[in-house]
Amino acid sequence: MAREDYFKWAESVFDPSKTFEKPEALADIKIVELCTLILGPSLPAYLSEFGATVFKVELPGMGDTMRSLTPFAKFFNGAALGWLKEARNKYHLAIDVRVEEGAELFKELVKRSDVVVENLRAGTMDKWGIGYRQLREINPRIIYIALNGFGQWGPYLERPSYDAIAQSESGEAWISGFPDKLPMKAGIWLADYYGGLVGAVGVLAALAHRDRTGRGQYIEYSQAENLMRAMDWTWLYQHFTGKGRERYGNRDVSICPADIVPSKDGEMVAIGAATDKQFQGLCQAMGKPEWAQDPRFATHLERLKEENAVELLAAIRQWAATKTCAELDQLASQYGFGAQKVSNGKDHFEDEHLRKRNFTYYVDDPIYGELYEEGIAPKLSETPGRIKWAGKPVGFDNEYVLKRYLGLKTKKIKYLKEKNIIGKWVDVPPGRKPPERWDGKSGILLA
Amino acid sequence: MEKEKSWGDWIRELDDPAKTREKPEALDHITVLDVSYANMAGCFCTSTLAEFGANVIRIEPPDGDPARTFSPWGYMHMGTGLGYLNEGRNKHHVTLNLESEEGQEIFRKLAKRADVVVETFLPGTMDAWGIGYRQLKELNPRLIYCALYTYGQFGPKAACGKADVDVVDQAYSGVVSVSGEPPEDPQNPKPSEVPTKQGNWMGWYAGGAWAAVAILAALHYRVQSGKGQFIDVSPAEAYGRCINYGINYYYGFKDTIPRVGNYDVGVFPYTYFKCKDGFAFLSGFADPNWKALCTIINRPDLQQQFPTIFERLNVDNMKIMYKEIEKWTMTHTYDEIFDAVMDYNKNIGQGVVVPGRISSPMDTMKAENWWVRMALETIEDPHYGQVTIANHAHKMTETPPRVKWICRPVGADNYYVYAKMLGYGPKRLEELKEKGIL
Repeated sequence: MAREDYFKWAESVFDPSKTFEKPEALADIKIVELCTLILGPSLPAYLSEFGATVFKVELPGMGDTMRSLTPFAKFFNGAALGWLKEARNKYHLAIDVRVEEGAELFKELVKRSDVVVENLRAGTMDKWGIGYRQLREINPRIIYIALNGFGQWGPYLERPSYDAIAQSESGEAWISGFPDKLPMKAGIWLADYYGGLVGAVGVLAALAHRDRTGRGQYIEYSQAENLMRAMDWTWLYQHFTGKGRERYGNRDVSICPADIVPSKDGEMVAIGAATDKQFQGLCQAMGKPEWAQDPRFATHLERLKEENAVELLAAIRQWAATKTCAELDQLASQYGFGAQKVSNGKDHFEDEHLRKRNFTYYVDDPIYGELYEEGIAPKLSETPGRIKWAGKPVGFDNEYVLKRYLGLKTKKIKYLKEKNIIGKWVDVPPGRKPPERWDGKSGILLA
Repeated sequence: MEKEKSWGDWIRELDDPAKTREKPEALDHITVLDVSYANMAGCFCTSTLAEFGANVIRIEPPDGDPARTFSPWGYMHMGTGLGYLNEGRNKHHVTLNLESEEGQEIFRKLAKRADVVVETFLPGTMDAWGIGYRQLKELNPRLIYCALYTYGQFGPKAACGKADVDVVDQAYSGVVSVSGEPPEDPQNPKPSEVPTKQGNWMGWYAGGAWAAVAILAALHYRVQSGKGQFIDVSPAEAYGRCINYGINYYYGFKDTIPRVGNYDVGVFPYTYFKCKDGFAFLSGFADPNWKALCTIINRPDLQQQFPTIFERLNVDNMKIMYKEIEKWTMTHTYDEIFDAVMDYNKNIGQGVVVPGRISSPMDTMKAENWWVRMALETIEDPHYGQVTIANHAHKMTETPPRVKWICRPVGADNYYVYAKMLGYGPKRLEELKEKGIL
């Protein structure tokens, strides 16, 4: 009863249908983004979900390269899906910051903002006169984060980078995949998304410091180094044993049992037990309660020994092949071990649980139409995260932002347009302009 | 005069991690109680807060957190497994039996004055003990309370009772479904041609990182409002938020993203190639970059044959282009490939091709770059001796993160923390220990 009561209460404090009745944690924070691809743009996208105002600055015309990135070149209502997810909640501006008047506009935005996020090659912003060296003079409270492959100084300074480089040079690819296959690149841009995420931790820590002292600061950030920090026991293992960490497929060699195995009905199902109690439950579900006392399996340290682990995992594989995915799931609930079908986009779309939790998030966008996407990760009871709009074509919000935030006169905005300091989209390549079916006015903010 | 300094020299003087220890810490005003249990997502979250300066009190059951046994093949260093050892950073380790009433009372006293609580029990467990957010917020309305669990604190699956294990988080996230090799022969798939997880605890690390972001956002909100709050993080959703596209692709095209091994369904070329002495990564996706790659390997015909991204994102074409590019990489060593590409980037520079090596972590550990930048560091821990760790990547001019010690044995800080927080002396601690509370 108490338990039911807890879930009822939890649902009431998190109720996603009340999201827009509640305040936002970062409502007072403005971020200027000068980024391309994912590593940079994901960071402000994450913070925008908690209310930060984000000015995404692109070059007029082509804009962010990411606007081309979509699976099999299939565009969704004119939008590249790789770009769309991290375009959420942002104001989309196109300013040519490489020329003086454009750089001036950029500085005016920074003067009124709290955070700058950029992911250009080291020194590019400095060369353009809009790097930290210049910006801290006009706004000493500014928190400036520069994200890239290898940082702003050091032996790899001249090397360009991408997500896959960070995955391979860190060793992350090497430790992933099966021993008889090549090192595995994750099926996602792992170093980018996870890089932007941990980058956001740095920005918010700097904000905590600024809340106390009023001082801004500069954050230098390498995505390869960030993945190295996430490689759990790798470095200690190599330090103590002198042996290299290899790849072991889906089996976790540091938690036993933990593996991904086929079910009777052909699904792949992750099965794991991280404590003795969870393991005892699994043994009962398998009809082998005596294994929990078997000296080979009774303690985690025994289970982890190679010969015991191999035997146990083989037995689990055999057993799982006799149960359907639904049966395994039900047994896991009943006996308290871990089991989960390997889920894909269809599973997420259809999963009532994830919808209820605003992970599978519905957006009714004035430009790109109705869509569902990966939405909000952490749920906050007082200041829940949210998506207000999905994205905008290149330069779509120029007039509104320059008028509302910088107070520019209509005449000045017209002049900037004529001089190509600000601009809008080009029609090709695809992904820059509004969708074909756009009515020419929806989504435009009056300026 | 300052202008004359190159950007790299100028910024290094300000953010060099060698000077980290001369600088203040961002979160040294924050006290965190971490009651993570058999879960590295919670431990990584609080490590991160501790590396930025928070005072983290790590509360374990009297016989230690089972996570202390999470270690490859059970390898133990001075009684602690390597996965846990790596995430004990800067924390004070105490014991407390939360299942006992007296233990719960002590926890309430600690929580009254704490800023943050992090826990990873099955939902409702802390609540049933009378020390969940529902009870603690009455004692401390400023408290930020973060619970991590695969299926979260609410929603149809929240009460399912299944365990949170990293492999489960990875499986639920959606990432595993798009990672790994497709079967070469679909009729006879090999055991290794299946959806594949990341080798590390990526689900738990993503969960811990999102939890840290949420806690820090809540802290900022508290500065103005004075209000704490409840945070619910599912490591599976946290990792799933890092997906390229899954739900919107299904919604838009009624199809799921297939597994394509080391290819990428949205970028080509952007993959690993065999070369004379190992593997090289090469990219050249956007039109100018593709042209650059074709120029470097002297195959202008390829550029003409596959001129736009529409040709290049066809999986059948990918296989053709892959074979043609590999003809070139197979006749060169990695260093030759790297030099040829970097030479082009530097001297011709129309478009960019990005080269990289697939490095084993052993080779990574040997590369000078990471030591110069202190991404890797060997430190002397007061208890565990010499250890090699990866630092957080942030180099900061004012408040950089740092590692002061790597871990502590079970209950090592009992005397210090209970004396400082509650005024308990050795006599009281001995009593509590005898009663099984500590």
